[in-house]
Amino acid sequence: MSNSGYIIEMKHITKRFPGLIANNDVSLGIKKGEIFALLGENGAGKSTLMSVLFGMYEPDEGEIFIRGEKVRITSPRHATQLGIGMVHQHFRLVSDYTVAENIILGSEPKKKLLGLIPMVDIKKANADIAALSEKYGLKVDPTSVISDLNVSTQQRVEILKMLYRDAEILIFDEPTAVLTPQEIEYLLDIIRGLRDGGKTVIIITHKLEEIKSVADRCAILNRGKLIDILDVAGTSTTEMARLMVGHEVSFSSGKAEAVPGETVLKVEGLTVKGEMGNDAVKDVSFEIRSGEIFALAGVSGNGQNELADAIAGLRDCAAGRITLNGTDITNMPIRKRIETGVAYIPEDRHNVGLVLNFSLSDNLALKRYYDATFSKHHIMKREVFNENGNRLIKEYDIRSSKGNATSTRAMSGGNQQKAIIAREIDLRTPLIIFMQPTRGLDIGAISNIHKQIIEERDRGAAVLLISLELDEIMDCADTIGVIFDGRINRIAKASELTVNEVGRFMMGVGDKGESA
Amino acid sequence: MKKLIVKVIGGEKLQMVRISLVAILISLIVGAVILLAIGKNPFAAYGNLLQGSGLLPKGSYAGRQNMFTDFMSFLDALTPMIFASLSVAVAMKAGLFNIGVSGMMLAAGFTAAITVGYSDLAAVAAKPLAIVIGMAAGALAGALIGWLKYKFNINEVVSSIMINYILMYVFTFFINTYFVNSVSRQSNPVSDAARLTITNVQAFDLKFNIPLAFPLAIISAIIIWFLMNRTTMGFEIKAVGQSRQAARYAGIGISKSMILSMTISGALAGLAGITYFCGYYGSIQPGVVPSMGFNAIAVALLGNCDPIGCIFSSFLITIISKGSVYMSSQQGVENEIADLVMSVILIFAACAEFMRMYAGRLETELKDKKEVQASRQIR
Ligand SMILES: Nc1ncnc2c1ncn2[C@@H]1O[C@H](COP(=O)(O)OP(=O)(O)OP(=O)(O)O)[C@@H](O)[C@H]1O
Ligand SMILES: [Mg+2]
Repeated sequence: MSNSGYIIEMKHITKRFPGLIANNDVSLGIKKGEIFALLGENGAGKSTLMSVLFGMYEPDEGEIFIRGEKVRITSPRHATQLGIGMVHQHFRLVSDYTVAENIILGSEPKKKLLGLIPMVDIKKANADIAALSEKYGLKVDPTSVISDLNVSTQQRVEILKMLYRDAEILIFDEPTAVLTPQEIEYLLDIIRGLRDGGKTVIIITHKLEEIKSVADRCAILNRGKLIDILDVAGTSTTEMARLMVGHEVSFSSGKAEAVPGETVLKVEGLTVKGEMGNDAVKDVSFEIRSGEIFALAGVSGNGQNELADAIAGLRDCAAGRITLNGTDITNMPIRKRIETGVAYIPEDRHNVGLVLNFSLSDNLALKRYYDATFSKHHIMKREVFNENGNRLIKEYDIRSSKGNATSTRAMSGGNQQKAIIAREIDLRTPLIIFMQPTRGLDIGAISNIHKQIIEERDRGAAVLLISLELDEIMDCADTIGVIFDGRINRIAKASELTVNEVGRFMMGVGDKGESA
Repeated sequence: MKKLIVKVIGGEKLQMVRISLVAILISLIVGAVILLAIGKNPFAAYGNLLQGSGLLPKGSYAGRQNMFTDFMSFLDALTPMIFASLSVAVAMKAGLFNIGVSGMMLAAGFTAAITVGYSDLAAVAAKPLAIVIGMAAGALAGALIGWLKYKFNINEVVSSIMINYILMYVFTFFINTYFVNSVSRQSNPVSDAARLTITNVQAFDLKFNIPLAFPLAIISAIIIWFLMNRTTMGFEIKAVGQSRQAARYAGIGISKSMILSMTISGALAGLAGITYFCGYYGSIQPGVVPSMGFNAIAVALLGNCDPIGCIFSSFLITIISKGSVYMSSQQGVENEIADLVMSVILIFAACAEFMRMYAGRLETELKDKKEVQASRQIR
C-alpha cells in the first residue's frame, strides 16, 4: 500500500491514558538503515510511542506500516516476529538466570533428548551468543549470571537479546542514562556499527550531544505532539533544546559564590562493605559545611552507592564515624536519621525511592506520613496528603495523568524522579544527598533541578551531590571530591580543578603524592 | 463471545469486583453441568443451598423451626468465616501468606476451652474472657510466625504450616488424654456460659441459635478497613507489603510492621477459632485442622483482600458450605458436589489476576479484528 521507502511509518498515532493524551496525532517515517532519535521533555510521550511500536500498547487511533505493509502490532511477541526489538528504560532481565538463558528466553533452541523429549539446547545457545557478541563487538560471557553484571553489561545483554531474535529495527529507550561517559562512547560506537550493518535504530535520549554525535534525524515531541523532524547535521543543539522545551533554555546555572558556614556532615575513616562482602568504601574522610555543595565525581561502581547508603543509614558502617551537626549518627536508625536531618535521593528510584503501587500523593508523603502535619493520633489526614501532593506537583512540575491519585507505576521515568526529588528537598533538612539526581531528566528539568540544588545550598543546606556526569559536577560543585576504588583520592575547591584533572583522578591515575 | 468477555471483565472500573462475580458465575455453571450430568436439576439444587442457608423458605419445617432458624444458624457459620478471611487479607496486605489460620484457630479454641470453657464462670465474665483469651492465643501464634520470619528469616508459609501441625497434634494429645467426651469422640463441650452462640433460644413460638459474635465480625471488618486505609500503621503495613526496600528507605520498621500484621492476622484467626469452636460447634474435634482456615485464603482472594469484600465473599461461600447439607438430603446427591462447586469458585478466585490479563489481551485482539474487517470493507 505505502511505497514511501520508509521501513517504519506511523500515521496519526494517538494514544490516550485516562486523563491525558500521551501521543497526539503523531506521524513519522523512519528510513531503513538510519539512526533516528526521539527528543522530548519528561512525559512528552516518547516511551509510549515506542511501546506502541513494540506492541505493548494499542494506539487509540492511527496506523502503522512496517516495510510498507499495514500492521496491527498486538504484542511484543508480534513485534519481535516483525523484526522489532526494544531495550527498555528499565531493564527486564531475570536476575538469577545466566546471560544465555535470558537471551534465549521465549525462543529457546530445542534439541530432542533420545530423539523424543524436547530439551533446551543451552550449548548451542551459548555458542550462538558468543558468535553474535563477537560479530557486533558486544563483550559478554554467556554463562555469567545477570545479578553479577553491572548495568552496562546488562544492557549489552539486552542488545544481544534483540539481535538473537534477528531484529532489524532496534529501539533504545534512554540507553545512556545509566552509563558512564566511557561506556556511552562504547555504546554509541556499537550503535553506529549496527547501522552500518544495515539495522535501523531508534534512540531516545535527553542528551543533545549524543543525538548530535550519532543520529541522522531527530523527531521532537512536546506534550504528546510531534513538533518537528530535523536533520541532525543541519541543526544546533540550542535549536533542538528550544524546540523541545518550547522556549529558550539557559544552560548555565548562574550560581553565586558559596558562603559556607559551620560543618554539617563529618565523615571520618568510613569503611563500608559492598554486596560481595568486599570493602566498597575504604577509610573515607571528608566534611561538608552548611551552604556548600560537595560533588563526588567518579566512575560508576567505585563505592558511591555504598557511601551514600551508609550516610543515609541503609547500609551498616564497618568502621569509622559519621557526625551530623555534631551528633554521632553512625549507628542511628534510618527514621531517626531522617528526622535528625538527612534527605536522600537514591539511585534506584524504582525499588528504593518509590512504592510503585502507591499513589503519587502517598509517595510524596512517604517520609512524613506519620508526623504531626500529616497525622493525628496515628490517623492520617487525607486532605493534608492531597494538599501536599498538589503543592509539590505544581512546584516541581510533576506531570502525570491523574495528579495525586496516579499510581507512580504509571508515570514516566523522569516524572518519577521529579517526585522523589520534590519529596526529599521538601524535607528541608540540613543535609541532602543527591545520587544521580538528573538521570533520565530532560534538559529543562535538569536546569530546574540544578537551580533547586543551588537554592538548597543558599538556604544553608549541606549538599552531597554524587554524579557520573562530569558536566553536572563542574556546573554545581563548590568542592569536588573524586572517588576511585572506594577511596577519595582528591578533594579540592571546584575552582582549583579542571575537567581533565577530575577525569584523571576518576581513572585512578591522579597525582599519588596528593592523595588522601 | 469474546466481546462479551471483554465487556464483562475488561475495562478498569471496579474490575476486580466484576472478576470476582464472573468467577462465581462460571463456577455455578460448572457445578450445574455436573449436577445435570448426574441427572439432577441444578436450579432445584442451588435453590436448596439458599433454603438450607435460610435465605429462601423450605417446603416444610420441623416443629418450632422456620426460615429464621436456618438463617440464624447460617450467620453462626458465617461469623468465623469472616474473621478467618480477614486474617488472611491482613497478612496479604503486608506481603505475607498466612497459611496458619487453621492452627491459630485451634490454638484459640483450645486455650479458651480449657481456661474458660470448662470453668464455672458466669456468662457475663466467661464470654468476654473467652473472646479475649482466644484473640490473645491467635495473636501469639501469629506474632511467633512474624518473629521467626524477622529473626531467622524463616519463610512464613513454611513456619505456619508447621505450626498448624504442631498445634494440631499437641491439642489432639491433650484432648484425647484429658478432655475427650466418650460418646461424641470430640472434646467435652464448653459450658453454655462460655459459649458464644446461645443455642436453642425459645421465642415467638420458635427455636433458634443466636451467634453473639456476628456483629463483632462486621465491626471488625470495618475496623480493619479503617486501620488499613486511614491509619499510619496501615500505611506502613501496605508499604512493607508492596516494597520492603522502599519501606526501609522511608524509615519504616520492616520487622515491626511484619510482626504487627501477623499479630493482627493471628488475633483475627483467634476470633475465627473462638467463634468456630466455642460458638458454632461448642467442642473441638481432635486430629483434624479446620479446613476453614485454608478456604479462607481463597475467600480473601475472592474478596480482593479488601475487608468489606471479605464480608461478601464469606457470605457467598458460607451459603454453599452451609446449604450443602440440605441440598444433599433433598437431591440425594453427595455432599461433595457442593464442596466441588465451592472449590471451583475458589480456584477461579485465585485466578483473578490471570483473568484480568486475559481480558486485556482479548480487548486488543478484538480491536484488531475490527480494524481488519473495516479495512476489508474499504477494499
Ligand atoms: N500505563 C500508563 N497509564 C497511565 N498513564 C501513563 C502510562 N504510561 C505513561 N503514562 C503517562 O503518559 C505520559 C507519557 O509518558 P512516557 O513514559 O511516554 O513519557 P516519556 O516521554 O518517555 O518521559 P521520560 O523522559 O520521563 O521517560 C506521562 O504523562 C505518563 O504519566
Ligand atoms: Mg520514558
